[in-house]
Amino acid sequence: MSEDIKSLRAEFEAARAEGLRNIEAAPDARSLEDARVAVLGRKAPLARLRGGLGKLSNDDRRDVGALANEIQSALESAFQEKKLLFEEADRAKRWEQERVDVTLPGASLPVGAVHPLTKTIWEIVDIFVGLGYLVADGPEIELSTYNFDAINTPPEHPSRSPSDTFYIAGSEEAVCLRTHTSPVQIRTMEAQEPPVYVVIPGRVYRRDAVDATHLPFFAQIEGLAVDQGITMADLKGTLEAFARAIFGESLALRFRPHFFPFTEPSAEVDVECFSCRGAGCRICKKEGWIEILGAGMVHPSLLEGVGYDTERFTGFAFGVGVERVAALAHGVGDIRHFYENDLRFLSQFTMPAGSGAAR
Amino acid sequence: MRVSLRWLSDYVAIDVPVERLKDMLDLSGTKVETVHTPGDSIHGVVVAKVLAVRPHPNADTLRMVEVSYDGDASQEVVCGAHNFGVGDLVPLAGVGAKLPGMEITERKIRGEVSRGMLCSGAELGISKDHAGILVLPEDSTPGEDVVNLLGLDDTILELEVTPNRGDCLGLIGVAREVAALLGTSVTLPDASPPESTAVDLDVSVDVYDPKACPRYLARYIEGVRVGPSPSKIVQRLLAAGVRPISNIVDATNYVLMETGQPLHAFDAAAIRNHHILVRRAGSGETLVTLDDIERALHPDDLLIAHEVGGLALAGVMGGASSEVGDATTAVILESARFDPVVISYTSRRHGLRTEASARFERGVDPEGAAFAANRAMALMLESAGGTLAADAIDAYPEPAARTLLTLRPARTETVLGVAIPQADQEDLLRAVELEVEAREGALQVTVPTFRPDLKREVDLIEEVARLWGYDRLPSTLPPGTSGGLKPEQRRERKIKTVLASLGLHEAWTTSLGSPDDLDLLGLPADHPARNMVELSNPMSPGEGSMRTTLLPGLLRSAARNHAHRAPDVALFEVARVYEPTAEPLAREAEILGAVAYGRRVPQGWSEAERPWSMLDMKGVLEHLLGALSVASAVFEPHDGLPFHPTRAARVIVDGVAAGILGELHPDVCGAFDVPERTVALEIATDALSPDSRRVQISELPRFPSALIDVAVVVDETVAAGAVETVISAAGRPELTAVRLFDIYAGEQIGDGKKSLAFALELRSPDKTLAEADVTAVRDRVVAALAKKLNASLRS
Repeated sequence: MSEDIKSLRAEFEAARAEGLRNIEAAPDARSLEDARVAVLGRKAPLARLRGGLGKLSNDDRRDVGALANEIQSALESAFQEKKLLFEEADRAKRWEQERVDVTLPGASLPVGAVHPLTKTIWEIVDIFVGLGYLVADGPEIELSTYNFDAINTPPEHPSRSPSDTFYIAGSEEAVCLRTHTSPVQIRTMEAQEPPVYVVIPGRVYRRDAVDATHLPFFAQIEGLAVDQGITMADLKGTLEAFARAIFGESLALRFRPHFFPFTEPSAEVDVECFSCRGAGCRICKKEGWIEILGAGMVHPSLLEGVGYDTERFTGFAFGVGVERVAALAHGVGDIRHFYENDLRFLSQFTMPAGSGAAR
Repeated sequence: MRVSLRWLSDYVAIDVPVERLKDMLDLSGTKVETVHTPGDSIHGVVVAKVLAVRPHPNADTLRMVEVSYDGDASQEVVCGAHNFGVGDLVPLAGVGAKLPGMEITERKIRGEVSRGMLCSGAELGISKDHAGILVLPEDSTPGEDVVNLLGLDDTILELEVTPNRGDCLGLIGVAREVAALLGTSVTLPDASPPESTAVDLDVSVDVYDPKACPRYLARYIEGVRVGPSPSKIVQRLLAAGVRPISNIVDATNYVLMETGQPLHAFDAAAIRNHHILVRRAGSGETLVTLDDIERALHPDDLLIAHEVGGLALAGVMGGASSEVGDATTAVILESARFDPVVISYTSRRHGLRTEASARFERGVDPEGAAFAANRAMALMLESAGGTLAADAIDAYPEPAARTLLTLRPARTETVLGVAIPQADQEDLLRAVELEVEAREGALQVTVPTFRPDLKREVDLIEEVARLWGYDRLPSTLPPGTSGGLKPEQRRERKIKTVLASLGLHEAWTTSLGSPDDLDLLGLPADHPARNMVELSNPMSPGEGSMRTTLLPGLLRSAARNHAHRAPDVALFEVARVYEPTAEPLAREAEILGAVAYGRRVPQGWSEAERPWSMLDMKGVLEHLLGALSVASAVFEPHDGLPFHPTRAARVIVDGVAAGILGELHPDVCGAFDVPERTVALEIATDALSPDSRRVQISELPRFPSALIDVAVVVDETVAAGAVETVISAAGRPELTAVRLFDIYAGEQIGDGKKSLAFALELRSPDKTLAEADVTAVRDRVVAALAKKLNASLRS
């Protein structure tokens, strides 16, 4: 190796050393860019030295060229590394500057709520829609024949008395405010042949004085299934499915024989007290059970009344008070709350509608 | 029905604990509402004799009563009741005695020391009678424990008897149920005709309405001595919740409780010629009943009468004139069956519900009349002496027939969904005393007359089911059909969820209202909402009509919140309103109503607060229309109460006026006690029906849009909507969107003018719009605005 080449290589090494020093010394991104131009630019020592390589012999050029390339890439790496450091520092600074207090309230959007009675109705309806039912409705101002006669209420029955039922002025008790949603059962059956699977939510009216458990108007849901082969076991299974969905899996149900003029056999259904689990407490009046609905096999005379063949078709029906279910599900001690629309009450139901969190 | 377990045990042997018996009754249809053991909470109450009574020196209504129970010492107690006197025997709770919920101590009452208290029936837990002290039978012994004397160491079951089971309003009927559940049988009391002497049956009966009175049995007894009943009778009546009166009356009540057959004892001396007539009341006729109330009778009321007037309101209550009293020596006993419908109307008409009417209403066994009469006669003879006429009058022209029914055992399975072997079905029916004969694959069942509720095959299936056990039924599900919600049901859900998500709370308010509500809203006399369906029997004047608008209910709810100082209130309701029609039924339409006051946007850390305005309510409605895919709505100024004359709009959907929204008139806000500037909305939900067509998408644009702003100055009376309409028309076809982004009025543009600034989006399907294209559109728009609205470009 000639002295010239040695000296040339030393110059290259000097350029490397200086370059690295320059890059290393840059205090900020801008100085680093200046350093890049000074070290790797066209007028930088390295470029100048490389410019002279053409004069060398092929062997020498290859030899020194390799060194030049190695230095070039070492300087570039050093530059990139340094640049990355600055960028990271910049980012870190930015993140700090942009920090948000995540405990600040979210941008305010007004929050409302669907009424608990509506939620309860939807929840019950959804259970039955899932079981293959349609939703029916009918008039609240109803003919007494539909409200009473069609469901076997005898003319002398006390529930027909003007002290119990609202009548429309001038109708001579032929038109009333329906006292249950049962007339819709009759209207539904009159309008179609079996199979009938309907649930009927709606407002009903009774002349009850207002107290914690009574109002002159309330909401009811009745269900009706008429088909070939409908049995009381079907009624039992259906109401168990309903009660499980509303009150939870673990509470027992109890079917007690009862009397309703429109069903035979008839039953009242109790759910195990969710508070004491059957031991007896204030909520269940020491019974251990809470009555939640009335039900039974549709009385054959009702089916005959709408022209169904009672040998071919049987059916069941049930009715439940919406306020009662909602009150039990949400721990509401006074059903008047449902109609006072006090925001301190309503806003407690602010949650996604239909989320079914009635438990 | 109050059932003393001790008394019930006369008729059926009960070999299970009371808790088990309760469960069995509950699960077979006769619910046990409560079980009480009155003796458990009573200690140290004894029979005491009243020695002297003097007025309380410091209180007019109180008396000082000196009593003694051990023959020597006496003590004085203060007492507020006046229904007893010197010599009577009364229950004394002395110092240290215990009553339900209290322990007796010596205390001063209005300055006088009272060493104990005298007890009423209510205090001893055996009746609801608070008014008087319970006067004890004369044959009681002073010092005797009242718990023993009154048989309070008994268990009382309160039964809920369903309307179809009148037979269970008598202990024998309950005993039949219990016997069926326990697999045993009933022991009936001896009701053989009592020994009678040859007294002439000096009684005659004419039943003028055998339909209303299918059976009238009368017996005659003379020479009785009216007095107190033996203590066993007294105990049992008290246990049943019946006040003991006298041996004659108590005998009728005892048998009523035992058999469920109401009986009535008349003082024979008060009946002219001992001639009884069963007839309907005449017009204008009156009767003084046992409760000393003179009642105007209705021509449908059935009357037990004699030749000169009424004696008793049949099946409901006896009359004062023929009441058995201390002086009575001869008694005519009535054991009848009256038509349930007749009795139930009479009972309701006179607001009189008695032990007798409750039973006749549900139906009394016509075959039970003689049994009950014999029992009562035997008891009277035993406790009051006297001689009984051998014969009875028995007006019973058409003896009741037993119902014959057929039960197909397979039908039981069809209805219940479980196969119960035929032999088991037979056994279950026989257990409740039905006669069963298997013939030709079916059960021929003869129903006793005390079970009139069993009328057809399905009633027998219920008997089988309830005795077999509902709890043993399997649980299955029927097949169902394809269930789901109808479009209008889905719409109702969507309206409610969208409004809730926009910050409104759903309300439920009453459907009952009155014309006064409409007065508060200031509606004119000819307003359609004035046409209301009226009730004939409202509970209060304010609830006499069916509502025609949701606003009063919502405003009252808002006012209630305002009274609680709720600063921001936004409520909505989806419910029906009712409109009379020419038909018997009304038109019932579902509408949406909403009211709001206070802040739409509350003050936040990053945003300023903003009050609810009519345009906020419009925004809510527009959002809802969008969410429901309702084609489009037009808003026109509306001037009419209850709204602010210049801050309300009619909502036109599909060319039909569907509703109104706006700020409420300040007077209406005042009338309902809600803050001024309360805004409201009311719209028919029918108008919110989603466009049923499927959305067809437009191709996505291939070329970029150009955005320009146009600010124009117009007269301040020109509606923004009118400006937008002109822009939209003139900008076609390039104009794809227009949005108002600024309104300005002020010095810069002069009085009576305003500036409206719109952002326009322009686009061509074929090319990128050039500067010249954009300018051309702008010029077109500006020219049209100038021509149609006299608008000038804002410089």
